Amino acid sequence: MTTSTPTWAIAPFGLYLLLIATLPLFFGAFWEHNRNKLIVAALISAPVLIYLFSGGVGGGEVLLRTGVDYVSFIALLGALFTISGGIHLRGSLSGSSGANTGFLAIGAVLGSLIGTTGASVLLIRPLLRANERREYTTHIVVFFIFIVSNAAGLLTPLGDPPLFLGFLRGVPFTWTLRLAAPWALVNGVLLTLFTIFDRVILAREQRHPRRRSSTSPRGTSPVEPLHLDGAINLLWLLGIVVVVFVMGTYGTALFGDSYLRSVVQILGMVACAVLSLVTTKREIHLANRFSWAPIIEVAVVFVGVFVTMIPALSFLGERGASLGVTKPWQFFWASGALSSVLDNAPTYLTFASLAVGVTNSGGANLSVENLGALASHPTGQHLLAAVSCGAVFMGAITYIGNGPNFIVKSIAEQHHVRMPSFFGYTLWSFAILVPLFGIVSHIFF
Amino acid sequence: MIKDILVCLEGSASTEAATRIAIGIARALSAQMAGLAIIDEPDIRAGAATSIGGASYKQERDDALVADAKKAADDWVALFEQRCRQAGVPARSLEIVGRPAESILTEMEAHHLTVIGRDANFRFETEAHDFRTLNSILHEAMRPVLLVPETTEPELNKTVLVAYDGSGAAKRAITSFAASGIAQGRDIHVATVDDNGVVGMEMAERGVAMLRAANVPAKAHNIVSVLSNIDALFKLAKELDAGLLVMGAFTRSRLRQLFSGSVTRGLVEQTEIPLYLQH
Repeated sequence: MTTSTPTWAIAPFGLYLLLIATLPLFFGAFWEHNRNKLIVAALISAPVLIYLFSGGVGGGEVLLRTGVDYVSFIALLGALFTISGGIHLRGSLSGSSGANTGFLAIGAVLGSLIGTTGASVLLIRPLLRANERREYTTHIVVFFIFIVSNAAGLLTPLGDPPLFLGFLRGVPFTWTLRLAAPWALVNGVLLTLFTIFDRVILAREQRHPRRRSSTSPRGTSPVEPLHLDGAINLLWLLGIVVVVFVMGTYGTALFGDSYLRSVVQILGMVACAVLSLVTTKREIHLANRFSWAPIIEVAVVFVGVFVTMIPALSFLGERGASLGVTKPWQFFWASGALSSVLDNAPTYLTFASLAVGVTNSGGANLSVENLGALASHPTGQHLLAAVSCGAVFMGAITYIGNGPNFIVKSIAEQHHVRMPSFFGYTLWSFAILVPLFGIVSHIFF
Repeated sequence: MIKDILVCLEGSASTEAATRIAIGIARALSAQMAGLAIIDEPDIRAGAATSIGGASYKQERDDALVADAKKAADDWVALFEQRCRQAGVPARSLEIVGRPAESILTEMEAHHLTVIGRDANFRFETEAHDFRTLNSILHEAMRPVLLVPETTEPELNKTVLVAYDGSGAAKRAITSFAASGIAQGRDIHVATVDDNGVVGMEMAERGVAMLRAANVPAKAHNIVSVLSNIDALFKLAKELDAGLLVMGAFTRSRLRQLFSGSVTRGLVEQTEIPLYLQH
């Protein structure tokens, strides 16, 4: 078995991330079918599999470990997706600035509990219904993406897939709570900015009401009080939190063997998902337009991510210090920049591995397989904090930086909200988020 | 003589005005009308950068927008047919699935005149404004286009201003306008904008001669002004109380337009009266 990862072995990872970002754009009809996604994943993963089984660093053992992590990852995402799909918020609010801000604030907290995707899908339709009489609603959806779909997910491993990947690799469940200060700063500033924006726009709408042309039809749903259907799913959600927390904190003491611990965790999450399916009325799933298609797509695409990232992470762990990224603020911006155009989950692991390499160059002996050690290292923990914040926050910078961004955009467009183009949205995020992240970088990193 | 008028349908106030003007012309010339509604499915379903897990949401969104566009097209066609029936003008309607510019340019070949609302947005499901469609049509159309802004009076009035610069497009505009039948019974004024009064007047007189050869009497004007060509033409149109401006469209190459601007684009953006355009 070789002891050093060859440089070529990282190419499939980079290529795969590039293909994930560009194939939907240029070959949309091809990429639409999960079968084709699986073919691409298999072709790109083949050289890595051959490398690992031919004595590559880590070999079959790291492949098995990665396979278990993959199943845990998909089990969590699938369970959260299933449970949030069983909760439906019926009725609407008033559409006032105060109500809108309150809604976004609730989303900012909920994101860390049920995941940014779950919180986004749960809250976006009621928010759109509340504002369907408004002329200008683009800013509401844009700030929703900033806050609920991204910044909200920083506080627990359930909040965002990258943080759960870190948890799977040993970062303690409660470790991300130390990021409460940047979480509060970013969400607080965004909520304040949103309130100002919304009030100014609302006042303008009231001063100059416009006649709508027949090309912008808007519904006029009757105003009815908010009502939560499928509340039993809150119990199954609590079940997920308990399973993940208990397994993460006491799993080793209870079960010793890490594979057994993972299996129990997976079974626990699957059990909560099954209970949700069994106890949720069909009408709720219909109202939510629940379908397995998104989670199947995630499962298929991430097969390739998990396989191809094995040598890439190993390479960064070995040689990370030589790449020039060594300070927390550099990790914040580098992981953030890449997260904004590539999915933030593999980006998090990439830079966490880089942080391991940098920390090891200072005399430590950490492993990319055990980020828990990095999280408790005196210097490593600051690098991991920077990577966590960069990956989570800056997923908001483009529509493709984080899963729920595009989902929220699609749902909004179905409700006839005029959403900015890819570059139009990026202008929004550059104008609002980048200066804010500059402040975060300056204060915390 | 115009016998077949194509009206491009969508929901803006300028298209409403365009339909009204087209009905007026059709009644005056005993022409028939065709209403064209376009469902821009190619642009709705065009590839887009999506996040992982977003493909099914994109498909759902695309299906919803296509269904919405189809419903809107059905509504506009029904409204168009009703208005033509009420006006006693024979009409038929078409719904085409395709990119707006290509669809309109193809359909225009079969009609003598195409009437479009100046602010029409045929890509309303995906864009807030649609300059691209109008730009393509005005650059590539072989047949005349009547562009109608929202502010147009209910009927075309008596006075017509023809902007003439001696270009091929301007000559084609005068020829097709003279043959259209719209010129009959109207006061026609041909104007050039040239600081050299003698040269300008000679140019205007050539325009008048072309119209006279088609039995359309006209008067010549040359404008000498510190204003831009666009403002000078509008000023004269206002003085004459012109209800229609006739001109060649995009007479300069795109490269020249890039550097020195386009009179056509300026007129299209600022006009408050219909424009009869021929490329």
